[in-house]
Amino acid sequence: MNADQNRSTLPRPLPGQAVAPRLPLPSIRLSERWFAILLVLPAILGIFLVVLFPLLYSLWLSFTDVNLLRTTGPAIELFGVRVPLFRWIGIQNYVRILDDPLYWSSLWRTLYFVGAFVLEATVIGMGMALVLHERFNGRPLMRSLLLIPWSLSRVVVGLLWVGLLDFEFGALNALLAKLGLIHGYIAFFKDGFSALNVLVSVYMWNQAPFAALLFLAGMQSVPEDLYSAAEVDGADYWQRFRHVTLPALRPIVFLVLVLATVNGFLMLDLIYVLTMGGPGHDTTTVSWLGFQTTFTFFKFGPGTAILYTLTALCLLLTFVYHRLLLARFEPEA
Amino acid sequence: MTTISRRTFLKTSGALGAAAVLGEGLRAPAFADKPISFSGWVFKPDTVKDYVNFYNQKYQGQVKYEAIPWAQYHPTMETRALAGEVVDVMYCNHNNRERWFENGLIRAVDDLPGTDELKKKMTPANLDSLKSKDGTKLLGLPYFTSLFILIYNEPMLQQAGIKAPAKSWDELVEHSMKLKKDKISDTPYLPNWNNSPSGTMPQFMSDCFSEGAQVFDAKNRVIVDQEPGAAKAMERWQKVYKAELVNPEVLTKTSSTDTHRLFWTGRYAYHTNHSYYLKTIAGEPENSKLAPKKAKMAMYPGNGSSYMWTDSYVVNAKTKVLEDAWKLTRFLGGNLHGDWYVQRQWCLISGLDNPYPEMYDHAEIIQSYDRWIDLKLLREQYKKGKVIAAYKEPWYGEYDTKAVATVQNIIRGVTTVPKGLKELVALQKSLA
Repeated sequence: MNADQNRSTLPRPLPGQAVAPRLPLPSIRLSERWFAILLVLPAILGIFLVVLFPLLYSLWLSFTDVNLLRTTGPAIELFGVRVPLFRWIGIQNYVRILDDPLYWSSLWRTLYFVGAFVLEATVIGMGMALVLHERFNGRPLMRSLLLIPWSLSRVVVGLLWVGLLDFEFGALNALLAKLGLIHGYIAFFKDGFSALNVLVSVYMWNQAPFAALLFLAGMQSVPEDLYSAAEVDGADYWQRFRHVTLPALRPIVFLVLVLATVNGFLMLDLIYVLTMGGPGHDTTTVSWLGFQTTFTFFKFGPGTAILYTLTALCLLLTFVYHRLLLARFEPEA
Repeated sequence: MTTISRRTFLKTSGALGAAAVLGEGLRAPAFADKPISFSGWVFKPDTVKDYVNFYNQKYQGQVKYEAIPWAQYHPTMETRALAGEVVDVMYCNHNNRERWFENGLIRAVDDLPGTDELKKKMTPANLDSLKSKDGTKLLGLPYFTSLFILIYNEPMLQQAGIKAPAKSWDELVEHSMKLKKDKISDTPYLPNWNNSPSGTMPQFMSDCFSEGAQVFDAKNRVIVDQEPGAAKAMERWQKVYKAELVNPEVLTKTSSTDTHRLFWTGRYAYHTNHSYYLKTIAGEPENSKLAPKKAKMAMYPGNGSSYMWTDSYVVNAKTKVLEDAWKLTRFLGGNLHGDWYVQRQWCLISGLDNPYPEMYDHAEIIQSYDRWIDLKLLREQYKKGKVIAAYKEPWYGEYDTKAVATVQNIIRGVTTVPKGLKELVALQKSLA
């Protein structure tokens, strides 16, 4: 510590003025490192309480025999709330769910759902972004309107599409019939595969605008010089898109793929509003099965185990995307 | 001139304030009861608030009511109990009552004052369904009871020249075929095959019972594969689905409420659903094209039996205000001081029935029901209502939900009737 740092900034007493005796104040000397830790500690504690603790606790639940109504037994107390420590049963919950044919049929259905959704959301989102990247009258308005489907609550989205697609009173059926394109109303939810594809499309309608927004932001950051240079080289629109736009958007494509995949795996609310997993089990995905197991059958152990298999799949696919898209990607300095 | 110092001013105003507070306190009604928490799932929460307010005023209660969405209601109550919260009085559906009791969340009410009198007033079938699995304890008082009924669209039948509603299932199918053939209705029959726990499975049990079939044996094992009546009901379901007599999307409707609203359109001839839905169909002209009283109730076809259940108000086993909690429970599910206030309100407002036959002698109730249903016929139907005990088993909730897919597969012809019925038996065995 140098002399300047030791210099007191307090006003000196004037001559003749009584000087009050100084009480020795306890001084805590912290190094810069500890001071920094002290400052971020409340935030870290907050993150631990609202993110890490629930995450670890739910992971722990997937290895235990949970009975919510058991009010005795070992428990920890957090701020007056009793958090029970259920009986550890190892990987039994995971073995049980992997042994269930319904889990596997739900998993294949989920993979189809996610694949179709990611493809649709990415392609349509990219298409919308390309259109909105062009200059035309009303572009700002179009960009604002684009966000409406994304900003709607998914329960509202579900109810909206029930109103459009319903066999009895759906607006789409009425429109198609009026145009003479159909003679009898189409039952979009009659067949399981058709119902699943309706779910994909409705979710895409809800989510593609966000992908478009991300792509649009990426496109606007591509330097105009690159396009000019490509034009000078005689590249047409599609060649410019393929050789300039797409490579520049690689990190955004990665982001969109990861977000769409995770959202696709976790999608639950539209199933709740539109099909409840039916007809039969034809629209039952792993997330719906996990939700049912947890909250309908009160089996929190197997339920969380089912949902953690989704987490593992999400992480695996993120890794694959990273390897495919970003491993050899060198950002410009 | 008298000067008022700051100290004098503060002292005087403090004394005045204290007097005002004390004075107000003296004027306020004296609360005899301790605070009680009361939770229920969302069904007409404003109506519930009204009668809770009525209770607080009339009986000097301090009841705090909270409504929780249906889908999360039971898990929410369980997680709260797990965290140590005590909700004194709660709704509980029949599927969860035994579980809550066996795990010590709720208590039996037999030892509480007035229970014996209420037991005597209940119909035996409802009383049985409110009892514990071993039949020795009463686990709550009734919130409501209901059963499946047959509803028909009278103007549509008349248009087709059909003079009386179907008395048998074969007749119902025959009428539906005729209505479709005559292009009076594309899908004349609307069964409650929705995907929720209140749809496909209660409808399945109703139709099995009406064909004289048992679904569970005395030990609550599923035995539908040995019951010709169950196979007959399923073959009929396959037939009406294949002949496109039903709305094909009814299988993905998410609730019985959504399903019954389809009948409001007047495009269907027959509908099977919970009894109270006829109140909106035949009694609410602002919603339904079949009101007033164009839709009517007929006795359930076959032998007339249909599935009946009773949901309840229960008392928390750990309540610290047992006396007051029980007083509220009797107000809700019984006749506190001889007044059936809440039970009567549900009858009048929503057509929710209760297991106390004497309620249906009240002129006000008779007059109200007369606006939307033939009360005499409804009471006859209740005599044919059949309760089950299987829902008291710990596996029942999971069986009831998973079985929906199997039954829907039978309906759609994805699986054959014998194979599907065997799958139901196997499903129950795997969970027991």
